[in-house]
This record gives sequence, C-alpha cells and structure tokens, in this order.
Amino acid sequence: MILRRPFFWLVLLASALFVFIPLRSNNVLLREDLILVAVAIILASNLNLMIGYTGYVNFGNIIFFGLGGYVGLYLATVRGWNLMLAAVVAGVAVSLFALLFGLAILRLRGAYFALATIGVLEAVQAFVSNFNPWGRATGMYVSFSAYQPLGGAMRALWITYYLIIAVMALSLILSLAIKNSKFGLGLFAIREDEDAAVVLGVNATVYKAIIYSVSAFLPAIAGTLMFYKNGMIDPSIAFELTLSIEAIVMLMLGGQGTVMGAALGGGLYETLRSYLLTSPKLSSFHLVIAGGLLLLVVLFAPGGLIGWLYRLAPRARKVIE
Amino acid sequence: MHFENIFLPRWIVKQVTLLAFVLVLLASVGFCQQPITIGFTVSKTGALNVDSLEQYRGFELWRDQVNAAGGIKASGKSYKVQFASYDDESNSKRVQQLYTRMILEDKADFLFSPYSSGLTATAAVVTEQYGKIMLTTGAAEGKTYTLGNHYLFQMFAPAPEYLKVALDALKAKDPKATVAFVYEDAAFSVAVVTPAKAYAQQQGFNVVFSEAYAPNTTDFSAILDKVIASKATVMLGGGHYADGSTLGRQLYARKAALKMITLLVAPDSEKWVELGDAGVGVCVPSQWEPQVTAKPQFGPTVAQFDKDYRAKFNAEPSYESAGGYAAGLILQHAIEKAGGIDAAKVAEALNATDATTFYGRTQFATAPNEHGLQVGHSMVLAQWHKDKSGKPVKQVVWPLASKSANLAYPIR
Repeated sequence: MILRRPFFWLVLLASALFVFIPLRSNNVLLREDLILVAVAIILASNLNLMIGYTGYVNFGNIIFFGLGGYVGLYLATVRGWNLMLAAVVAGVAVSLFALLFGLAILRLRGAYFALATIGVLEAVQAFVSNFNPWGRATGMYVSFSAYQPLGGAMRALWITYYLIIAVMALSLILSLAIKNSKFGLGLFAIREDEDAAVVLGVNATVYKAIIYSVSAFLPAIAGTLMFYKNGMIDPSIAFELTLSIEAIVMLMLGGQGTVMGAALGGGLYETLRSYLLTSPKLSSFHLVIAGGLLLLVVLFAPGGLIGWLYRLAPRARKVIE
Repeated sequence: MHFENIFLPRWIVKQVTLLAFVLVLLASVGFCQQPITIGFTVSKTGALNVDSLEQYRGFELWRDQVNAAGGIKASGKSYKVQFASYDDESNSKRVQQLYTRMILEDKADFLFSPYSSGLTATAAVVTEQYGKIMLTTGAAEGKTYTLGNHYLFQMFAPAPEYLKVALDALKAKDPKATVAFVYEDAAFSVAVVTPAKAYAQQQGFNVVFSEAYAPNTTDFSAILDKVIASKATVMLGGGHYADGSTLGRQLYARKAALKMITLLVAPDSEKWVELGDAGVGVCVPSQWEPQVTAKPQFGPTVAQFDKDYRAKFNAEPSYESAGGYAAGLILQHAIEKAGGIDAAKVAEALNATDATTFYGRTQFATAPNEHGLQVGHSMVLAQWHKDKSGKPVKQVVWPLASKSANLAYPIR
C-alpha cells in the first residue's frame, strides 16, 4: 500500500513546501526558479520509467512535452477550451500516440531503440513544422487576452505554477506506485534481462508499450501548462534534442531507477544551471562548470547521488526510494 | 593682538572656501545623477549567439557614449545608464525567469528584448504584467505585436518587409522574371517568405518553385536540381548564417543560371567575404547599411557611428549592432521628452515618436491590435560587389534614392 510508504508523505510534504513558500511571501522570483525545477523533475521522473525502470534509453522523451504543448495550446487558445481540460486531453492524446509508436519501435532494443527515438523526434518535428493548424514553423502565440479567463496574466501564471507542482507530485507518486507494483517488478525484470523476463511470463512488448505511453502522459500535461505560461510555442523550442539529453543527465546525476534519484537529479541540475547562469562571477563559465561537475559524478558516483548514498547508508533504501 | 592673527591666513581661507564650493557642486551633481537600469538577455551561447552579440555591442557602445556625455538628461536630472543582463542560452525556457529577475531583483527601469521573435514573445508575457517598456530588437516576426500589448516597441522593420525590397528592385529591372523561393523551415524565414510569395504574385511575377529545407541542411543538391528544373531566373530565400552560406557556396558550384540571388541574414555578415567569388553578386535585405546617409535629428551621424563602432570593436557594424544602438538612442530620446523615467510618460513619448536617426526613420504603430509594430523604418537591399582592387564590398542597390551602386543584374 503506497500510503504506508514514508516516501509518499515526503513527496506530499515537499510539494506542499513548493506551494506555500513562494505563496506566503508572494515571491514571484522564487516561483520562477521553482517552476523550472518542477518541470525538470517531471521530465526526469517520467524518463526514469523508461531508462531507470525498463532499461530503454529514450533520446526523444522531449516529444511528449512538445506535443503536449502543441495539442493543449491549440485546444486552449484556438478552440477556447478550459486550460485544465485542454491539458488533460493533451495528456491522453499524446499517451495514445506514444502507445501506437511504442508498439512499433519498442521491438528494437539497445542502441537501435535509442537511435529510433531520435528518428521519431525528427519526424515529429518535421510534421509539426508543416502542419498548418499549428502555425507550421512559426508556431502558435498566446494572446494576452487568453489569460483573462484565469484572471489576467499575473494570476494565470500563479495558477499555472500550482498546476505544474501538482503534476510534479503526481509524477513522483506515479513512479513510486509503479516501483512498488507487480507491473513495476515486470519492468525491472525486463531491465535486467528481457529474454529471461519473457521466459518467466512477462509480456515484454505490452509492458514496454504501456510504460512508454504512461511516461508520456504527465510530461504532455506539463508541456501544455509550460508553453501556455511562456506565451508561445514553435517546433525548434518544443522539440529541442538538448532538453532530452539534459533530462538524461539529470537522471545520471541523481541516480536512475530510483524515485528520489530522478527528483534530486532534476532539482539539483536545474538549480545549479540557474545559479551559474545568473552568478555575476561564474556566468561566463556556466557550461564549463556544469560539465565538469557532471563528469565528476559520472566518474566517481556512477550510480548517481542516490546510488552513492545507498552505498554509504544501505538502510536509507527503506525511506528514500 | 591683531584680529587676523588668531585665524588662519587669508589664502588658506580662500582655498578652503573654494574647495568646499567645488565639493558642494560635485555633491549636487552626484545627487542629481541617478542610475537607470536597463535589463535584457543576450544569447551568449546557443544558435543565436553571433547575431545576439552584435546587437549587444550596439547597446554597449550607446551606453558608454551616453555615460561619457554625463548620462541621459531630463528635467534637470542626469541618469547614468547601467545594464543588468544574463545569458538566455538562445532558449525560451529560461527567458521568463531571467526577465522576472531583472524586473524584481535588479530593479530594471526599462528592458531591451532578447534576440529573436520567439524569445521576445515569451519575455513579453512577463514585461507586460509589470508594465515595463521593452524595446524589441532582432524580433521581426509581427505576431507578437498583435496579441494586445501596451509596452512593446519594435525597432526592426517587420518580417513582411524583408523580401519586399528585393522584389521591388527586381520589378524595376526585370518584371518578367520567374521566381523560386528556397528557404529555411524556421520561424523567421517562414514569416518572411510567406508574405513575400503573395507580394511576388501581386507584382505579377511567376512563382515557379517554392520549397522549405530543414534548418540543419548541409547538402542542397536535390533542392537545387529542382530549382534548375523549374527554370526559375531568380532565387530568394535562405534563413540564417550556417545554411545561407552553404547554400551560397553550392549555388556557385552548381553554376545555376540565376540572374539574381537574394538570401536572408547570412550575406549581411562580414564573414560572407570568406565565400570569395561565390559570395559576389548575392543580395541581402538589410535593416541598415552605412552607405545610407539619413540626416539624424539627434544622435550620431552614420559616419560617426561607423567610425566609433570600428574604433571600439575593431569590426564592421552590422544591422543588428546598428539596431541595438538605435534602441538605446530612441529610449534616451523618449526619456528626455518625457522629462523622467516614469513608464507611462515614456511610453507616451515612444508612441508619439516619429524620428530620424543614423538608423533611419522610427515610428511605432499605436492601434491596439498592432501596438508597437515598426511602421516608419524602411529596409534596403544590399549586394556584394567587387571594388577596384577586386576585394568584395557590400553596396546598397535599392531603393534608388539610397543606392551606392547599381544592381548587378544578371549576376554573371
């Protein structure tokens, strides 16, 4: 039972702090910092379902975020739907898309699958760049009046923030629930040895397609919310390969295969990048410093920070999952 | 005892009085000189790096010159300009975070936009909330100004103007030309080419071919085969530096019998010279060229700007750098007109601006459905020629009133 897991309550507590600290002080700057941290955690956490749980490296994970942004923004701004409804529909639509694609490309394994995900990313970007209803290469812009139903832009940005924190909490709880389920056990079996898992009765094709689809749902919702907040979307921003790779780096930093690892990696990576970019002394070297630190983690803590913590204090596994 | 003996000698009293007077004067000047903070992001890293940095150099030159002249003077006060800027990594992800930081933490009084329309639209969501004036440079896409803003002011002529100058020049030279559009499938070039196609047809040109290529294309042979097969006599398009310069080289290598080639952005860079003969004859629409001598109502002349820029950066100014400098100049003029830095009054002064500087004419649309759109500035068409020593030089060929050389047509 997930409610009995201490980590579940830790997630709720952390999410509550994310909501109340900037709200109490009406600190917009902190909100802007935390929203990027939350999006990083959402991306890393859902990518963890594929890489950490199932052992499939997905370089195209940003497709879900970008497509979700497009579907949701189209419904909310062009069709005039309620933002939350548009976001959920975007999540469902992108999950269905992922399920169909997953059934096809998840027959590939290892490097072949990783390469195929880059191909899918390119194909989707090319399609969207030529799709008239979504503004082709120039994308879609959110009119300032589109924020009025939520009480104007200032209030709309706060509401978007709360919704993104909720999606972050759901991402971590979903990861925790899957980790502690029979389905999750099947995924771990696939990760360790797919052929052996099949022999033991795990329907690997279906399991993989389902987790690929599940890993698309919450990033797609986050995409709608984030691009609505940003006020515009175009293919070069929505499907940027660098963001996919950054999400993988976050997982490596925190520790793949663990719920806390994805959260910690996402949070730390984003905080570090933000700090370096805005630091008057270090901003010119931000990429060098970030790269150097990541190199140190990969060399000396290949299991990420959580892997390192588990080695130091094995009992921590009971609380920090 | 004589009275004077118990006090200091007269010459010391005089010196001290004079010193005190000077100190009071300096203090009063210091008191009147307030800092004014202008915030913006620069793409120090990422795809927009080159163009964004050129724009930044324009900002820098303006700031240094204004401060050297004692700051911006308005209603008896003097405002010293200081910048708050961060790297946006050419990515919209962090733009709102950084503009919020500049407004709330760095207490920016005014803002310049990031480079590119997408990043500017994202920043505008934040700047509009706080009622902060943002002069947009390097954001030619017009959609941003149709979203109901109140505080955006565009310095560049909008995207539909880019290829209009090339088509006008072509119409004067060869109204029966057949036109092909080959362009990068990216926001800026699509925003430029889409209205240009309609304008070409409206001008009576036969558009025989139109195709977009992927932004990272390095091999144009297939698309050039199609251009040649279409029997087009003129090709317009391109996108940014990397693809535009490769396209220029491959066009030359294929010996495509085109009478006119106009590419966006890339031929405006001083790096275009590296193409050698392949670059000669190619045209580029430009927001500003040093050969166009507008008589400025205020600020430096074209020659002065050109000279000062070369002296400071040891490089030729591009239209991005001129646009950056002009943004500062127009803001300065509006602050002077408004008599201070009150945002509403400065916005009012900007709305009323119709001024000519070294950069050309600047006027902003004031209708609510297109507020801030640049309606006064005109673009020119430049073409690469060879000077007497055989060195490639850029010449203005259109409009005729501004030309420094005739349009070479056909190219070869």
